[in-house]
Amino acid sequence: MKRTLWLAALLALAAPAAAQVGDTTQLPTGVRLGLIYTPGMAQRLAVRPVEAAGAGAVVATQATEILARDLDFSDRFDMVSTPAGLVAVPITYGPWNDLGVAYLVSGEVTPEGDEWALRVVLHDVTYANVMEQWTYRLPSPADPAFRMAVHAAADAIVERVTGQPGMAASTIAFIRRTNGRYELMLVDYDGENLRRVSVSDDILLSPAWSADGQRVAYSVVSDEGNFQIQERLLETGDVRVLVNRPGLNITPSYSPSGDAVAFAIAAGSGTDIYSYDVRRHCCLTRLEGGHGRQLSPTYSGDGRRIAFNSDRLGQPHIYVMPAGGGESALISPFVYGEPGYYTSPDWSPTGSLVAFHGRSRGNFQIMVADADDPDALVRQVTADGVSEDPSWAPDGRHIVFVGRRGSGRGLYVIDSSSGRLRPVVLGGDLVVPDWSPTLVRASDLALDSR
Amino acid sequence: MMQQRWAVVAVLGAVLLGACGGEPEEPTPVVTAPDTAAERRAREAAAAEAARRAEAERMERERAARDRAMEEARRARETIAQRVHFDFDQSAIRPSAEETLRRQVGVLRAHPNVRLRITGHADERGSTEYNLALGQRRAQAVKDFYTTSGLAASRFEVNSLGEERPLVRESNEAAWAQNRRAEFTIIAGESTLNP
Repeated sequence: MKRTLWLAALLALAAPAAAQVGDTTQLPTGVRLGLIYTPGMAQRLAVRPVEAAGAGAVVATQATEILARDLDFSDRFDMVSTPAGLVAVPITYGPWNDLGVAYLVSGEVTPEGDEWALRVVLHDVTYANVMEQWTYRLPSPADPAFRMAVHAAADAIVERVTGQPGMAASTIAFIRRTNGRYELMLVDYDGENLRRVSVSDDILLSPAWSADGQRVAYSVVSDEGNFQIQERLLETGDVRVLVNRPGLNITPSYSPSGDAVAFAIAAGSGTDIYSYDVRRHCCLTRLEGGHGRQLSPTYSGDGRRIAFNSDRLGQPHIYVMPAGGGESALISPFVYGEPGYYTSPDWSPTGSLVAFHGRSRGNFQIMVADADDPDALVRQVTADGVSEDPSWAPDGRHIVFVGRRGSGRGLYVIDSSSGRLRPVVLGGDLVVPDWSPTLVRASDLALDSR
Repeated sequence: MMQQRWAVVAVLGAVLLGACGGEPEEPTPVVTAPDTAAERRAREAAAAEAARRAEAERMERERAARDRAMEEARRARETIAQRVHFDFDQSAIRPSAEETLRRQVGVLRAHPNVRLRITGHADERGSTEYNLALGQRRAQAVKDFYTTSGLAASRFEVNSLGEERPLVRESNEAAWAQNRRAEFTIIAGESTLNP
């Protein structure tokens, strides 16, 4: 902190013209445009059409499409399509090797009671062997669980090859504002299965997934002055009130252990962060995080720290403190005398990166800071249009955000490594997305090995 | 304003007394002789005419008082309903808003049973969540103005709707300026504003 201020004072003396307030052509000081560097080139991967006998053919076709798309969207591979001559013939690695393919995915669908079994085989073409194979229970394609089961298979492949988690078996919660009403919406990570969970005349904001993926908490603000944080059990639709204190009860965030929800209470002229024990339904604790008004807490993946928003410098900035409260450190770029506006932090589930949005060249863009290295330059990962409200995928690499682009307004996903962008849901007034943890694991669906 | 209110009460009291007083007041007859039937009829007509005029004047005075009271109530409501606006990302009361708030303090002092909900709003710029907190600060700043002017804190509820309920659904500087505001809703004692 002190060092930054020192540097700022020097900069202000040395180059007063460079730090013009309201300059929209310069990046803010302390921010650099750039993606998150990950070493290594994407290796080639092919998904051979999944085989099936008889009635399983439709199931196999759908499973193939979902698998291939998931592996493409993972942005870990250079995807190669299967040449006609290599479909449904005994696998020999030579021709695949000639195509430069490093990994080959093949599979088979067979009947399993009323449902199906999906066998997925991951081949290491370079070493000419089978790396791993799994057999899963697969519901019928009419079942909403069908897509999730195939997504889980894709995640297993990503994890086996890269050693890092995938993101396919996940869902994004967000709020859609329609004519003054508020809809709690869910959409699968790939834009499929868009559905409305509930609708309200009250203001619903800040949906937050529980670590077990079974519940979503959100804040409710009614025009008549009723403020609470509610929790909805997705499977049954049961809703309970978590906290209902005088003042605004806003911006909930579950701890990774699922024991606590951190949130902010805005009452009087103050706004402070509290934690609440959701297992024992008790023990509201104020988390001392320094002066200023504080909100939007977000737990680190290990549950030991919290990033949050505070206006103690006059404008909103992002800070990090221990999960139980304590000394906090600034992680968003701050230069004395320059306008700064950084809000909506979200801590990556896999490491020390915190995403937030900040004003850059006149518009809000998504930025990423490293909580372990507060003095490093903050990376700006979006540069076009307007980008707000980031939330990390379970892979700690992709980020969903609210974007306004030439292609439309809505939810977009960006790969923070490659910069590849894809729309998830376009159209409508969509805000505050929160990306779920992994909801289904292949191991949960495994059949006896055969 | 207090005097006017007492005037209304007095007039209303007079009306009520008049309504249950039974016999209407008649001018005392002046006894003169000789008394012809024609003269008596003329006298009675004149007396009736005088009574009618007095009654009309009384009703006119009453109506004017009622109008004044209603106008006063209307103005009181209007003053209370007047929004105050804020600068971008600020919750400080602008000098231009102080005049409005001072007039509101006057009305609220005259009507001690009126309770208000103060709702803060923000423009659409910035984060949805941060704007909720910003709206809260704006509402609180207004409440602080009232309480430092001597009004009881218990008369006010503060509330924020962030950027969720814009006055003007447009994305330009003029719309944003309109949308950064505090609004007032009477939540108790509304009837005490009535004449």
